[in-house]
Amino acid sequence: MSPVPPNPLLEQFISESRDLLEASGKKLMQLEDAPDDQVILNELFRCVHTLKGNSGLFTFPEMTRVLHAGEDLLGMVRSGQAIYSRELADRLLDAMDYVGLLCGEIEATDGIDASRALESQHLADALRKLMPNLIPNQDAAAVRDGDSPVVANAQTSPADNPSADLKQFAAIPAVARKSALERCRQGDQLHWISYRPQRECFFHGDDPLNSARQTPGLIWGRILAPGPLPPLSELDTYSCLLGFDLLTNAPREELDQYYRYLPDQVEIIAVPAQWLEKGHGDADGASKALSRAIPSGSFSEDDEAAFNWILAAQRQILLLDDRPAWHAGRLKAIAEVLANLSQAVGETSTRSDIQTALAEALSTGHNTLLLAWLDAWIVTRKTIQPVAGLSWARGTDGIMAAAKTDSNLDVGSATAGDPSKAPADEGVRFGRRAEDSLTGTRSLKVDQTKIDRLMNLIGELVVEKNALPYLAQRAEVQFGSRELSREIKGQYSVINRIADEMQDAIMQVRMMAVSFVFQRFPRLVRDTSRKLGKEVQLVLEGEQTEADKNIIESLADPLIHIVRNSLDHGLESPEVRLAAGKPATGKLTIRAAQEADRVVIEIVDDGKGIDPAVIKQKAYEKGIIDEATLERISDQEAINLIFAAGLSTAAVISDLSGRGVGMDVVRSAVEKINGTVVIESELGKGTSIRISLPLSMAVTQVMVIESDGQLFGVPMDHVIETVRVTRDSIHAIKQTKTAVLRGRIVPLKSLNTLLGIAAIPRLNSDDELAVLLVQAGNAELGLIVDGFQETMGVIQKPFSGFLTGLSAYSGSALMGDGSVLMILNIREIV
Amino acid sequence: MPIEFKKNRALFRDEVSVEEAEALLEWLQTRPTAKVDLSACSHLHTANLQVLMTAKAGVSNWPKNAELRSWLEPALKSGE
Repeated sequence: MSPVPPNPLLEQFISESRDLLEASGKKLMQLEDAPDDQVILNELFRCVHTLKGNSGLFTFPEMTRVLHAGEDLLGMVRSGQAIYSRELADRLLDAMDYVGLLCGEIEATDGIDASRALESQHLADALRKLMPNLIPNQDAAAVRDGDSPVVANAQTSPADNPSADLKQFAAIPAVARKSALERCRQGDQLHWISYRPQRECFFHGDDPLNSARQTPGLIWGRILAPGPLPPLSELDTYSCLLGFDLLTNAPREELDQYYRYLPDQVEIIAVPAQWLEKGHGDADGASKALSRAIPSGSFSEDDEAAFNWILAAQRQILLLDDRPAWHAGRLKAIAEVLANLSQAVGETSTRSDIQTALAEALSTGHNTLLLAWLDAWIVTRKTIQPVAGLSWARGTDGIMAAAKTDSNLDVGSATAGDPSKAPADEGVRFGRRAEDSLTGTRSLKVDQTKIDRLMNLIGELVVEKNALPYLAQRAEVQFGSRELSREIKGQYSVINRIADEMQDAIMQVRMMAVSFVFQRFPRLVRDTSRKLGKEVQLVLEGEQTEADKNIIESLADPLIHIVRNSLDHGLESPEVRLAAGKPATGKLTIRAAQEADRVVIEIVDDGKGIDPAVIKQKAYEKGIIDEATLERISDQEAINLIFAAGLSTAAVISDLSGRGVGMDVVRSAVEKINGTVVIESELGKGTSIRISLPLSMAVTQVMVIESDGQLFGVPMDHVIETVRVTRDSIHAIKQTKTAVLRGRIVPLKSLNTLLGIAAIPRLNSDDELAVLLVQAGNAELGLIVDGFQETMGVIQKPFSGFLTGLSAYSGSALMGDGSVLMILNIREIV
Repeated sequence: MPIEFKKNRALFRDEVSVEEAEALLEWLQTRPTAKVDLSACSHLHTANLQVLMTAKAGVSNWPKNAELRSWLEPALKSGE
């Protein structure tokens, strides 16, 4: 197991990133075939965008930088400003690989080495180089490059153009203005943010309204259309035409941090208090109306603002439709505030009305009555519409702060507990939450060791269960209770059924689709074929075929070898193919299918095939076969020689294949998981390699044989047939005993001799020997044993400790009666 | 669906994402008198907002979420 990062969020980030990288790689491959497919392009863009966004949650600027460049580039491809090319795909794939590398580094060391910064800059530059020079005529904001923020971050001096700014302040309603001034007086620095999103910002996954809403310290904000809006029929939904003006009391650093991904789209100006003082613009009619509504003399302007605020806050709280545990307390607090307010403006008589409304609200649990009273009161007081014109404010006022926090909850923010930290993450998380919860309920990620443990336990259960028939037999024979025996057998059949189902279920859990291995081939084939200058079309079939996880995983390396070999040796270059009358593009098919209890994987190419003569000659030169064999062997046998160690047919050793390791490695890897590999080839037409693997390694079917009174298991994969041979039909050729079986001469060997048991094979009453015909590698062999018993499914355990050196056995298994069955490793003993 | 399209009224629910904007635009283009009901809406993507603003769509119900309402009301009312 790889080291687990202690931070679960980081862990999730890495696993998600890997998935996204894989998906991006796949999409890039698909784009290669269909460069104009907008759907794939959009999906790819989204993958990269999400990756970038996620990386931004942590401090991995190296990763973010590369991804950001990739995202920008893709954004341009999507909008038609850049053209998809192979070079572009190469650069993007490089970037993806690099990010994958960083993921590995983060996983291992919890961080990225600072030395990576330069590499990431190079990669990002390479990506940016592919971006076409910005087209003139475009909206300046739209084309402003992330690296050259023109007005970005520069603390624009208020003196530059005060009149324009001041005019904008006129838009701020009086109430918000008062609350802002209040902040100023408490020592807060106010900032005016002019946020003009890029036109194509939607494609970057930005939601400017959301960003604006989440701006820290927001006192007031408005939505505006900086340019004229087009007629409805000409509106481009995906081009952002809106802008935002915001007034906030958050410190500059916090704002910079919040808008750090959009520095070129926001202008942040420090606002001195006097700008907001009355006289700038018309301190709108509302406040005048308000001052009329409130008894003159008793209220200063600040007071009236505060009064209005408090009302608005109460109303806002009443509008919340959540029902926290403290709901009753909240209602009481509102009633108290309202009563105090009415007292403050000299309407003491309303107190009883409020109490009545409160009592009703408390008993029904609905806010409506209090709300109705409040609204009615507002109307009679002729104050302005509290919510429409009023801003929300947060800060010193406890109630206001509570209202704000509650409304955060309303939106469903996962980070409601800490609103000040949340906004930066918000843009990324927004809209993804629903998805998260969906996938969360459907599948589990379980550590493999837990599954293995479960499987071991079920294995034990299966073995233990097999003891019951023995017990039944004992009950009958030893204790003479036939009835008890029958009952035990009845119980056994039930437990047997359940155990079988359990075993089946756990196998299902361990099953994985071969697509796990297949998915890397499009990339492999693409890269390799480009390196070799060949045109190859890859066809994948049966990706959904499933097999045990271990099988699938151990399949990866052999398959890569085979595919590389096919590309390097099998498929010809386009010219050669055309000369041979074949289409210029070679075809490589990887097909998976389930056949009975085995998975069969075929790798078929339509290349030049394998020339048996060349193989024979090579094998002879390298001393793999002797001269006699050279004369004798058939073409098929010659082709099989490519599985022999140390044979390479390629004249030139490349970095792909041709080192003479490969096919023999393939065979041993496949055989290690009880698989077989068969090769067929026709010169000039192509080669087909067929790998057959068991569905699962957990249960091995073995045939139990007896020799010298001991029981042994032989894996059924090796058993061809069982025959009885009379003693006189055995002939000795030189030192080897042979017999003619079905018209073929088969060498016979005694198991006792092979295992070093000093006993001669037992004959049965008809003077016959029991011969188990087995497949050992490519040869058939008759194994002389004493007798055959049943076949059974066993859970094979590999040897541990010093027993591992016993190569004659591949492992051991427990039998139902508790005895140990040794499983013979046929290939080793013959 | 975050937007439920009725005969002449569109109901916005929860968070209305950018993916809905195109459909909303098409819907509004054929219904000049259509109204939108935002009462159950907790957030709408800017793309949707600008469609509403461009279409000068009438709002039959403002969002229950007061904070959202305070954003939308001035923007959508001025368009009327």
